[in-house]
Amino acid sequence: MSELAVAVILAAAILAASTISVEVGISVALIELALGVVVGNVFDTGIPDWLSFIGTFAGIVLTFLAGAEVDVPQFKCEWKASLLLGSVSFAAPFVVVMAFAYWALGWSGDAAQIAGIALSTTSLAVVYAVLVETGLNQTIIGKRIMSATFVTDFGTAAALAILFIKPNLWIVAFVAVSALLVLGLPRLSPWFFGRYGNRVIEPEIKLVFASLFLLMWLGDKAHSHAVLPAFVLGLALSNHYATHRTEQERLRVVAFAFLTPLFFFKGGMSVSVSALWANLGVLALLFGAKMAPKLVGVYPLARRYCAPHGAFTTLLMSTGLTFGTISSLYGLQAGIIDETQFSLLVAVVVLSAIVPTVIAQRFFQPSAAEEAGREQAVTIGQPLLEREGR
Amino acid sequence: MPFEKILAAIDGSEASDRAFAKALELASLTGAKLTALAVEGPLPAYAATIGEVDEVRREKDAFFERLLGSTRQQADLAGVELEVELRPGHAAELIVRVAKEKQADLIVLGRRGHFLRDHVLGSTADRVSELADCPVMIVR
Repeated sequence: MSELAVAVILAAAILAASTISVEVGISVALIELALGVVVGNVFDTGIPDWLSFIGTFAGIVLTFLAGAEVDVPQFKCEWKASLLLGSVSFAAPFVVVMAFAYWALGWSGDAAQIAGIALSTTSLAVVYAVLVETGLNQTIIGKRIMSATFVTDFGTAAALAILFIKPNLWIVAFVAVSALLVLGLPRLSPWFFGRYGNRVIEPEIKLVFASLFLLMWLGDKAHSHAVLPAFVLGLALSNHYATHRTEQERLRVVAFAFLTPLFFFKGGMSVSVSALWANLGVLALLFGAKMAPKLVGVYPLARRYCAPHGAFTTLLMSTGLTFGTISSLYGLQAGIIDETQFSLLVAVVVLSAIVPTVIAQRFFQPSAAEEAGREQAVTIGQPLLEREGR
Repeated sequence: MPFEKILAAIDGSEASDRAFAKALELASLTGAKLTALAVEGPLPAYAATIGEVDEVRREKDAFFERLLGSTRQQADLAGVELEVELRPGHAAELIVRVAKEKQADLIVLGRRGHFLRDHVLGSTADRVSELADCPVMIVR
């Protein structure tokens, strides 16, 4: 099939995904992934080079956006509790899934590490949507969960960047340029955005994209991955975006209209339905290997720091989507995992976006009004159980 | 007096506009107190980015601000006293709950909402008519 024919199919499917998303109220990313699976398995398109390239860049843009969306002042208030919750939420499934994939499924060491990373994530956006919808984002528990989610995602980004490094001299340039951008851009941005921003030609978006491409190139040269510096760069600019909403909105428009659909379609198109069908048992086991350590590891801490909503917190911390997909795609592209392993990981990631969310909302969702009243006297940063003398 | 408190559920769809016009007419004829309830539906489920959630939220805020503004305007023109409510939640359950809270003796709503999701699990109007304790007027 010619590249233009693939582009036509994708453009139509991307349009269909956005309209379906509006009609059914499910996130466009999930629909794009699903339609990607259909396109990839029904049409003989393969993944053209241009789609692979743009999809990879879109993954880095998504990571940058995830960093830029972190509420840093909120994290500073909640860092102690969040650090514990978030670290365990990352480490427990990482170790268990990695060990399970290596010992029980016989995956290679590197493939097992990719599995551990992909299934250790917590979805910042899935959690955020649930909290905002219920008004819990204004409560201490909501803020604590969001901050903990950020810590988990940071762990994922760090693991992806560090575990697969094969150091050479380029690593020096990669680290130096990353540090320069992270420290320099927030200082440069007020002047640059003030002088060149607010124009339809969007120099501020081009500055961000140029920085991300530079990080990707240097990361590639250093045999590392730009996901960590991209995330931290977003984080460094989060304060700027918090006060310049229009710039953030424009960046989102460019990302959501063109880039991220190609990322999720690329992910979906790489999934093999026949491989999934042949490995349904493994899929269930991998899902269990993600959920069990999340539940066992996070619940005791959630009971301490998010009482009396430990179960709700634990289930939300068990969700995953974007970082799980990014990690799996990295593994596939780098030749660390094969198509079957990729399909299994992405399926588990999608299941983990849906199953714990539905259970949390259906059975454990607290009332925001009651929670706000209960928290009135509670000091931010102090374990709720401690405060209540339990 | 046949009706004292009327609850009209509004969502900006054509059917809802017709339903609200009927509710206004009834309130004007009977002197009933009219409440317009707009239900803020769910945010995109299983979102991949906070941006997607935030943008939908902003779009919803702007949409409901316009909707409630025009609803108030219509009530002013008709000379009917109107109370407006904007609440998040599941449409059918919320409409029934607010009707109970307000002790409404009639619920007025349109037959069809905006989106496919308003129909896939049975229409909101059908479920309200099943669950409500008071009479329900469904406007086509």
